[in-house]
Amino acid sequence: MFHRLAGVLTALALTVLAPGVTTVAAQQTLTLYTSQPQQDAQRTVDAFMAAHPNIRVEWVRDGTTQLMARLRAEFAAGNPRPDVLLIADSVTMESLKAENRLLAYPEANVEGYPAGVHDPQRFWFGTKLITTGIVVNRAAPVRPTSWADLLRPDLRGQIVMPSPAVSGAAMIDIAAKAQAPGLGWDYFRRLAENRVRPTGGNGDVMRQVAGGERLYGIIVDFLPLREQARGVPVEFIFPREGVSAISEPVAILRSARNVEAAKRFVDFLISRPGQELASAMGYMPAMTGVAPPATFAGVTSVSLLPFDAAAALRDDAMIRRQIREIFGE
Amino acid sequence: MTLGPTFRRANDTSFVEAVLIGFLCLFVAALIVWPMVRLALEAIAPGGTPTLAPMFETLREAATWRAAWRSFETSLVGALGAVALGGAFAFLVALTDIRAKLALVFCFMLPMMVPPAVTALSWATLAGPASPLLKAVGLAPPPGSDNPMYSAGGIMLLLAIQHAPLAFLVLRAGLRAIPRELVEAGRLSGAGTAEIARSIVAPILWPSIAAALALAFVSALGNFGIPAILGIGERYYVLPTLIYVRLSSQGPTVLTQAAILSLIVAAIGVAAVMLQLFATRRASMRLAARPGAPLALNLGRWRLLVEAAAWTLLVVILVLPLLALIATALVPAYGVPLSSATATLENFREVLLRQAATIRAFANSFWLSVGAAVVLAALALPLGYALVWKRSRLAAAIATAADVPYALPGVVLAIAMILVFLRPLPIIDLSLYGTVWLIFVAYLARFFVLAAKPVIAGFQQLDPRLDEAARVAGAGFVMRARTILVPVLAPVAIAGGLLVFLTAFNELTVSALLWSAGSETLGVVIFNLEDSGLPTLAAAISVISVAVMFAAMGLLQAISKRLPAGVLPWGNDR
Repeated sequence: MFHRLAGVLTALALTVLAPGVTTVAAQQTLTLYTSQPQQDAQRTVDAFMAAHPNIRVEWVRDGTTQLMARLRAEFAAGNPRPDVLLIADSVTMESLKAENRLLAYPEANVEGYPAGVHDPQRFWFGTKLITTGIVVNRAAPVRPTSWADLLRPDLRGQIVMPSPAVSGAAMIDIAAKAQAPGLGWDYFRRLAENRVRPTGGNGDVMRQVAGGERLYGIIVDFLPLREQARGVPVEFIFPREGVSAISEPVAILRSARNVEAAKRFVDFLISRPGQELASAMGYMPAMTGVAPPATFAGVTSVSLLPFDAAAALRDDAMIRRQIREIFGE
Repeated sequence: MTLGPTFRRANDTSFVEAVLIGFLCLFVAALIVWPMVRLALEAIAPGGTPTLAPMFETLREAATWRAAWRSFETSLVGALGAVALGGAFAFLVALTDIRAKLALVFCFMLPMMVPPAVTALSWATLAGPASPLLKAVGLAPPPGSDNPMYSAGGIMLLLAIQHAPLAFLVLRAGLRAIPRELVEAGRLSGAGTAEIARSIVAPILWPSIAAALALAFVSALGNFGIPAILGIGERYYVLPTLIYVRLSSQGPTVLTQAAILSLIVAAIGVAAVMLQLFATRRASMRLAARPGAPLALNLGRWRLLVEAAAWTLLVVILVLPLLALIATALVPAYGVPLSSATATLENFREVLLRQAATIRAFANSFWLSVGAAVVLAALALPLGYALVWKRSRLAAAIATAADVPYALPGVVLAIAMILVFLRPLPIIDLSLYGTVWLIFVAYLARFFVLAAKPVIAGFQQLDPRLDEAARVAGAGFVMRARTILVPVLAPVAIAGGLLVFLTAFNELTVSALLWSAGSETLGVVIFNLEDSGLPTLAAAISVISVAVMFAAMGLLQAISKRLPAGVLPWGNDR
């Protein structure tokens, strides 16, 4: 009995481990915390490892807000795991920088990047341009073209938005709209009255609108544009008033155990091949002169909502309190 | 020195035995007793300073009471549903002449072994406007309609289905104990069916019903997978999901609060069991003798109809959700209808060959559960030996302590483990937090009882004289262990290990709070993929993990003839 069982277990173990065996040859490990969607994170990591076969990347994917909670738990335990962070927004990076958690990388090659995409002191580097707009299920009776349209009574209870408790993009989107004249906190109060409730992350918004559980969603651009191209019955709309944007910055932690590999990872993301990969995955690249993804073909011009990042960082506690008051916990 | 062997049995404890018992004590003290004490301390003296302020603050919050009420409400309705469903099947199986009972029981028990998160995921993909299954047959609700599963009602329904098998097992035993003589005597003295049910059957059955209700309630209370998948998105939080959401968005700053919340969960569970014991205190029926023959009802011409109804119900609660899960795993993107043109194995390829996290999760869950199974089966042998054959009081205390982490909701143990292992361990200065070892240690504590129960049952069936004879013949403990204990008890130890494997392989509640970079478990990646809006990938992994589970169950079934009655959770007592 023992022998037969041992045989079965060994066979199972071999099946389970076979795919992992090939990576044993790698010599060094880089730990990455990222808020990219699962498959994009995998593709990014795979491309990086293909370019640097001696570095093995271990990564964790979660919403930016949740990754920060995880990271703070690890700071408290005196054992921060990641070497490098690739998260939604620069405001979060600024808060880490203010706490002296980041490591500057002044030698990074930022040629081809407009000022403002990266930190002037080179603590973090924007890698993409991701805006937040509206996704519509094609079965929907209305095609909203502005943020104000989401307040229409005939859309009541049909709109889903990502939760700032999960998504960094959602946090920035709320902060930017709260600053915008004509929108402001009053806009969110009226959204809440129209039964808009923040749920999970952007992926969850995508799932609900693609599945038809809700007909309208507030969401980052690349997800619906990409799903649209794959035959999912949805459409992405850039609302008239303008959209908020995040840059998905990358940064090295001061506590990084493998600083060299972390620098290679930053180099890779802001290099031309790294930017072309982002474009191939459906993201608007941050580097000028790299062709935008095919999914953006119909997009001519997009107006951005003005955004005061320093004010958002300063008012962080107030913003969170307002969100709690308007939408509940 | 002239004392006979019977006397020597009481105080001769060999060095090896003493070491084994000592090791067991250390294991239970370090991994079960101390974490629970530490958890209680955190609530009354966070950071070492005695203060009740955080407790009052948590108890003042509306969110605490809302979640506590929802925990209570969903668990109670779920438990009532479980008792109704389990009771109906128990009645059919125990008392009527329905056919194919073995197959019926096996199929009815399956939902208990499917991980709750997978149950929730499969029902969520079965219902609602995106359902690939409903879309394929043109029955999907129109776009814009709610998915009815993402609601309190959905949670209650699935809690009922998930825990109906538990209620079934308890009620079947209760129904079998109704003596036919008593019912016949009642009938002879002129009582009608209603009178017999009220004055004979109800008093005998009441303790079983109360026990089934309490068991289902406590299990539902600790359930994380179902309210996590169906409730978090709707922000319908029960206590375990509130703890998870708080910890995962705010980190260890809310650890004290999480400890208090987890103690509230524990308190509700303990209160339910106390209530059950109180309510059945005076109800213990003393039956004159074991029933000569259990009650047997003839369904007559209703039999075919009843059988059809029972199997239809099984198709609805077992087959349809699994089909929906498979259908979801086969579509290229959520929202695309399933057809011969769109069906693809891409999702399986993605999770098995491409996604490092899911590949790692398969390996992690496999090694965590195999490791826990082997270690716990090995620890169960000396425990059973000391408890049953040596009648050691210490071993009895250890066995009782081992019950606690499994009986309490998983989130309670997880918080206790974080509290104990967040800081590096003293002396060796090693931090388990953020490593896969924290999950392993938690599994050892939580699932010890699963490995111990079959082994203890095995020892109870064996005659201790076997051991004594070998001892009289001069065999030392190691010799006796090698030649008697291990060979004879191997099947029960393997069964215990397989039960640990089966439960740990799909576990989510504990690892959801303890995982870190590189130590994701299968439960965690299923939950994370669903949470990040990739239900097709989550469904693909779920399909694979359910297949592994069925294989392990088949393995157990294959050795079931060599196991003591009642060892298998789906019942091998025939």
